[in-house]
Amino acid sequence: MSTARKLPVASAAQVRAYARRLTLRHPRALAGALALHALAAVCGLVAPRLLGELVDGVSRGRAAIDRIGLAIAAFVVAQGVLTWLAHYASARLGERVLADLREEFVDRVLALPLSTVERAGTGDLVSRTSRDVDALATSVRYAVPETLIGAMAVVFTAGALVLTGPLVALPCLVAVPLLWGVMRWYLPRAREGYLRENAAWAEMTDGLAETVHGARTVEAFGLAAARRRRGDADIARTWRAERYTLRLRTVLYPVIEISFVLPVAATLLVGGLLHANGLASLGQVTAATLYVVQINGPIEMLLSWLDELQVGGASLARLLGVGNVPPDRVAGEARPDGERLTARGVHYAYRPGHDVLHGVDLALRPGERLAMVGPSGAGKSTLGRLVAGVDGPRAGTVTVGEGAAVPLVELPLEELRGHVALVTQEHHVFRGALRDNLVMARPGATDEEAAAALAAVDWDGPGLDARVGSGGETLSPAQAQQLALARLVLADPHTLVLDEATSLLDPRAARRLERSLAAVLDGRTVVAIAHRLHTAHDADRVAVVEDGRITELGTHDALLEANGSYAALWASWHGDHQPDRTGR
Amino acid sequence: MRTLPVDDPGTPDHRSPTRYLTWLVRTQAPTVIAGALLGVVWMLAQAVMPAVVGRAIDQGVAARDPAALALWAGALLGLGVVQAVAGVTRHRNSVFNWLAAAFRTVQVTTRQAARLGATLPKRLSAGEVVSVGVSDVAHIGDAMDILSRGSGAIVAIVAVAAIMLVASPPLGLIVLVGVPVILLLAAPLLRPYRRREDAHRELVGELNTHATDLVGGLRVLRGIGGETLFAERYRGESQRVRSAGVRVAAAESRLSGAEVLLPGLLVALVTWAGARYAADGRLSVGQLVSFYGYAVFLIHPLKTLGELAGKLTKGHVAAGRVVRLLELEPEVPLAGTVRPDGPGDLVDAGSGLVARPGELTMVAAADPRDAQAVADRLGRHAPGEVTYAGVPLADLADLRDRVLVAVNEDRLFSGPLAGSLTTTGRGDLDAALVTANAEDIVAAVGRDAHVAEAGREFSGGQQQRLRLARALAADPEVLVLVEPTSAVDAHTEARVADRLRAARPDRITVVCTTSPLLLDRADRVAYVEDGRVVAEGTHRELLDTASRYAAVVTRGM
Repeated sequence: MSTARKLPVASAAQVRAYARRLTLRHPRALAGALALHALAAVCGLVAPRLLGELVDGVSRGRAAIDRIGLAIAAFVVAQGVLTWLAHYASARLGERVLADLREEFVDRVLALPLSTVERAGTGDLVSRTSRDVDALATSVRYAVPETLIGAMAVVFTAGALVLTGPLVALPCLVAVPLLWGVMRWYLPRAREGYLRENAAWAEMTDGLAETVHGARTVEAFGLAAARRRRGDADIARTWRAERYTLRLRTVLYPVIEISFVLPVAATLLVGGLLHANGLASLGQVTAATLYVVQINGPIEMLLSWLDELQVGGASLARLLGVGNVPPDRVAGEARPDGERLTARGVHYAYRPGHDVLHGVDLALRPGERLAMVGPSGAGKSTLGRLVAGVDGPRAGTVTVGEGAAVPLVELPLEELRGHVALVTQEHHVFRGALRDNLVMARPGATDEEAAAALAAVDWDGPGLDARVGSGGETLSPAQAQQLALARLVLADPHTLVLDEATSLLDPRAARRLERSLAAVLDGRTVVAIAHRLHTAHDADRVAVVEDGRITELGTHDALLEANGSYAALWASWHGDHQPDRTGR
Repeated sequence: MRTLPVDDPGTPDHRSPTRYLTWLVRTQAPTVIAGALLGVVWMLAQAVMPAVVGRAIDQGVAARDPAALALWAGALLGLGVVQAVAGVTRHRNSVFNWLAAAFRTVQVTTRQAARLGATLPKRLSAGEVVSVGVSDVAHIGDAMDILSRGSGAIVAIVAVAAIMLVASPPLGLIVLVGVPVILLLAAPLLRPYRRREDAHRELVGELNTHATDLVGGLRVLRGIGGETLFAERYRGESQRVRSAGVRVAAAESRLSGAEVLLPGLLVALVTWAGARYAADGRLSVGQLVSFYGYAVFLIHPLKTLGELAGKLTKGHVAAGRVVRLLELEPEVPLAGTVRPDGPGDLVDAGSGLVARPGELTMVAAADPRDAQAVADRLGRHAPGEVTYAGVPLADLADLRDRVLVAVNEDRLFSGPLAGSLTTTGRGDLDAALVTANAEDIVAAVGRDAHVAEAGREFSGGQQQRLRLARALAADPEVLVLVEPTSAVDAHTEARVADRLRAARPDRITVVCTTSPLLLDRADRVAYVEDGRVVAEGTHRELLDTASRYAAVVTRGM
């Protein structure tokens, strides 16, 4: 079982540095958007001030009502237009930043070291690709701009309040300790709570997806009741996660609402007393009160996005973390002078102290077909990965070349691919045209070359222009396997490692395919790890791998004569019954 | 607050999307009504706030009366407390409503998917059903929520208009006429926004699928190359999403500009007219401030009204998808009631195959599709003339419990390893693991190790052995296995073959395979050509007597 390791997560400092770089990448667009938002916010502050003047004027009995009314309308129009432009400018910038973010993430994913990709499960990466990119999109499209706008509006409104009269501005400060205290309590809890809530929802959807994808199995095994129970248990867990955040909000919301009303009452009370003592005009008190009412909007906006920003930050850390995987090979300068692959004294361990290969020697002869057989867990696939240069041995060497042989792990990836390629049981059909699925192996290949590669694998599927992969035409597992082999034909390395590469084909088709492949790959070195013995029968040499060692190596006939474990297996295959060698 | 989920979600009304939504509302009627009432109280508390501020300015500030000032400031605080309590109660209620509707929908979806079984993938794509759980439940929850909030908003608008009408009929009229005008003017801006947002969301979905696809095939990509090609393609699609996003922003920014402009003009109009009345002495200064406050306050319920139509539409579309799933019926109904006296032969009239208790029967077909067809009939996954102990399968009671057809398309389910392999609570899992040669897998990761979705962390061969162990552990009277060892190596296959023979005494076991290692261990092999059994005997007898059989299983070696 492949040990699915989690990919790293970026540090807070890395996230901050990256956010800073990203922010400053488009300085003019950023400055423009901020300026427009600032102007819009300022326009929105005029109305209360003018209303204050109206109040003063009316109470004195001489007010320029029409002029002030028109002015209010004019500023409303200006604010509307500026809001429109500001929103557009910042959203355009946001989309640009978002595109940069996701494209750079995909670049990082595509540059992941080969050994990491082979060993780490894809689950973690899939969730980063879908959930974290989504979460970040919400942050960039909404949370970041709204927070900035909110902060700006708060600052400007506070400024307007002070300009109205420093004394009438003071009472609104009563809300500050209240808000500050409740947010300090809320934010750290909210972050955990919302992450748990998202995870619970994801698990619930996964459970539903399993039931749907496995509907036939559910019916055959009578698992309907079990699936219902699993679904209800997932819902109950989601409900608990929701209840937790709901409890947090049950504290937060009333405190916020009270802290919005409290300063209004305080401003009226203190303002009234100031007015009574001649320290403030009626208009000043009115304008101040209205500003205090008005500042609640942006504060609420600001607070409501804070937890979303935290979630976005966590997602960004996970996206950036993909770039923190250290490279698994340092390419040297040396280039091989031949095609001969040789393994000498190779040891390999997944866990320190637990070698799964114990000093394997294997000299491949250029152009030969070598079949590797042996029980599961004997180390066949591990040896295959080492021979393909995907992993480096713990001790010993795997080299390519004649005299001046070069270790595979010291070749740059592009160079390595020209020498040796690995095809496993796991096949993937990419979304898109069948052609793209092929020419990825050799960009620039012509349609004729692609068609020839398909012909080499007895292709019976759709044509080059057909849309395949998820959402397109479905290829059978066998066709997916053929496609993988056709890629190899096109990539044309001198050595191929096929790890159970034909196991999904029906046995007859597998043999036919292997024979036609053999014709195309004539002159190439092929290492075939296979459980079907006809593969071994057709090979030039057979290597039997048992307990991390090559125990038998020779031609099919020589091994039969030697009468070892290969001979026993072959006899069983042909119907000469042998007792179970494990003795059970 | 009550606990979710409910034990029994009830029988949904799936005659139409509207009926489904109505059914949801009915099942949670008390909380929906309570939500609407709380919404009204919460909105009204905010709506009368400007009136109190106006009084405070008139009677307290302007009149320089500290007692009145303190009184009205206190009233304001009291109102604030009412608003806070009503607000948070309303919020809790609305979250409950949202979740209750969403959870109930997930429940009926899960139950229906489990009930449909093999019929489901034939009628609906998996993605469509899963999206019910991802996005449709959210839209349905939103629809429930907006019903409560929307009614609160309407009452608040009517109340504010009434207060203004009483205080000053002309100003009240301005608001009464102004609000519908604003809604009418804003409506045409809403439509392009929604359209573009839908288009954008679709592109984002595709881009996500694209990225997930890249990740899923990363081994292939890194192994064989093509990163540049795929990165460029992703970039192209990402830029298309970006321009669609900018198009959304264009519509959205016009909308947000209008949200400032239209109510703002109403505020300006009310303020100007109010100031004129105040100058005439028909309004007090405090009332002028109140009117300004009312007009500003109205923006909030107006926005809620703007949401109403959109959310109800989306909820309706989402309910439509749920209804499409709910109205499906299983293809092969299982309603037999006859219990056979004891174990007996399993006979497939279509092929002439007979399988006997205590015997390991194997079916080798020249064409793998024939073997699959036999297996489907034996499990009544396809109609056919099959009898078990003399009883036609259509009449057999507890068919799924007695007959199990295990194929390679079966899925492993996530959960603790041992638990996910135990399905019936009957057989012996340890023995099954030994037979399937899967003890080493369980020993390596532990019985309680968490199996990831579809067991994807196990290799193909490991998954196959675990699936075989699960089928054996289910211990049905009839077990049909289709190519159960196609992905394991020859050594393991030989061991499985040896153990399979001893594993199911007195039971019927049928294995469809062309592997000589398995066939060699069968008590009896039936060779099928063109859908009919044409030769029977042991593997070695058939090798000697049926040359076409020998050609199929040894492939001419």
